[in-house]
Amino acid sequence: MDIEAIMGQVLSGLSVGMVLFLIASGLSVIFGTLKILNLAHGTIYMIGGFLCYWITSTFAHIPAIFWLALILGPIATALLGGLIEIFLLRRIYAEEMLYQYILTFGLILILGELCKLIWGVGYHTVSVPWPVDGKMSIFGMIYPVYNIFLICCGVAVFIGLMAVMRFTGLGRIIRAVTFNREMANALGINVPMVYTGVFMLGCWLAGLAGTLMPPMSVVALGTDMAVIIDCFIIVVIGGMGSLSGAFIGAIILGLVNAFGISLLPKLTIAFGFLLMIIILIIRHWGLLGKPE
Amino acid sequence: MREIIQEFFKKTLTLRLFWLSTAVILLFILPLFISTAYISLISEMLIMALAGCALNLMMGYTGMVSFGPAGLYAVGAYTTALLLKKTGIPFAATMVAGPIMAGLVGAVVGWFCVRRTAVYFALLTLAFAQIIWTIFFEWYDFTGGDDGTVGFRKPELLLSINSSYYFILLIVIICLILLWIIVNSPFGKTLQAIRENPVRTEFIGVNVKRYQLYAFIISSLFLGAAGSLFAVFSGSVFPDYAHWIKSTDMIVICLLGGMYNFLGPVIGSAVYIFLSKLISGYTMYWMLFLGIIVVFLVLFMRNGIAGFISHKIAPLIQENKETEK
Repeated sequence: MDIEAIMGQVLSGLSVGMVLFLIASGLSVIFGTLKILNLAHGTIYMIGGFLCYWITSTFAHIPAIFWLALILGPIATALLGGLIEIFLLRRIYAEEMLYQYILTFGLILILGELCKLIWGVGYHTVSVPWPVDGKMSIFGMIYPVYNIFLICCGVAVFIGLMAVMRFTGLGRIIRAVTFNREMANALGINVPMVYTGVFMLGCWLAGLAGTLMPPMSVVALGTDMAVIIDCFIIVVIGGMGSLSGAFIGAIILGLVNAFGISLLPKLTIAFGFLLMIIILIIRHWGLLGKPE
Repeated sequence: MREIIQEFFKKTLTLRLFWLSTAVILLFILPLFISTAYISLISEMLIMALAGCALNLMMGYTGMVSFGPAGLYAVGAYTTALLLKKTGIPFAATMVAGPIMAGLVGAVVGWFCVRRTAVYFALLTLAFAQIIWTIFFEWYDFTGGDDGTVGFRKPELLLSINSSYYFILLIVIICLILLWIIVNSPFGKTLQAIRENPVRTEFIGVNVKRYQLYAFIISSLFLGAAGSLFAVFSGSVFPDYAHWIKSTDMIVICLLGGMYNFLGPVIGSAVYIFLSKLISGYTMYWMLFLGIIVVFLVLFMRNGIAGFISHKIAPLIQENKETEK
């Protein structure tokens, strides 16, 4: 493998990893605060993809429609998330994990079938938008600009989220609720509203990933199932509830997948699960999580 | 005292035994009345009922929520199928080998899993099941990969649907009786104590981790048995038997029937498979209805059908009787 091929793999691994980071960060934030493992998170991502396809194809005559979709799609998934939280999840916070798992599994089925009902079973593609189409050269090698754009998006969102969590009043409130729900409630923080807000934030992130992915991949049913398992792997590697953990985990999984495909294609799927098992056995709070 | 005993016999034992034996007799004479299509449907229900009960030993009785029972189910199915296809050993031996192999894999997987609790336990079982799925999926030369393992020999006796139905019925009943004995033994009571409060159970001198491991292994054995039966029943095995979607099916079956009832998964399996065939006959959006059913169950009927009957309907009947008096 020459240096050019290696750089190419690194780049494609990182760009997929960054999209996975966007989804996994939402999953992780939701788990950290709401203590719910949201199986339907991948489906929210998929809906983001369908929305991107639907907006760009229906209003194709509007210039720069992709960028409009990039704003509207995540907002729509965030609103959907708000409805889910208020009408369904809110009723089961006190219940065992099993019920949360099954309820969110039911959501996978319902939302997935609704996507099938609305957009059909075919594959859809979205063309790469201006001005991030085309290629660019780095150190004399040619790469698609879109991949680099995705990496920049991932890093920007990561920095933005960290800044919000660390330095703003909103971030303090979220951290307080995550740390101790009762105490935060006693101090006058509207905990249910924070829960709804955090869940909407998570769904916004999934929707953002969903709208960013189509130009590089396809929009199709079933992508949710593959993505949610990847997200579990990332969140476990990094530590459940940890944002920087999700970032590291996504980079690791992205690179493992990219190099695995070219070196040991048969074992690639297993690598992610093996990593997950090893982490769960020797350090179940993850690389950057906090031991309980 | 005598009256109490008589009352006890009248109310619980006689009624339950009566209904159970009626159900079993009905199951035995069913092939005389209904078409083979329904017979194979009922065979499927029976196998899933066994898988559900096996999972329920771990989930409902010991309180360990596993996301990966399908992995062990698939180990049983593949072991039997591959032995039948690649070796000449007797059929009965392959049927025994399936559960034993699943039990061995369950012992290894369980040894790691019981060290973790709650969500970490569940995710670990999920990861192991996905590894098993990957092995069956990628080891093309041995398992046939995505095409599955098909075309293995079957004993002549089991070629007809009716005889294979009786075979399945017999094995499932034997397994359920064994599970019933386990659940009601001191061992089973200890498992329930662990479910209710692991810390207190540890304090009274029970090695909780070891008991959880035993429950994991026993559950794996019976999951493997269900897998072996399904391999023989369908004549083909596929990697998707180990997939987490299949695991979720099993969990839904337990939940639908009622986790805190021994026969809950049996009811769950019958209703689930019946509904899936019924609804998917009318619409291609069966999954939508399944999703709605699942959400409804979690929100309004957490104890499943069995729980609903014993908590809501049984008191009504008793009230009626009392008012009649």
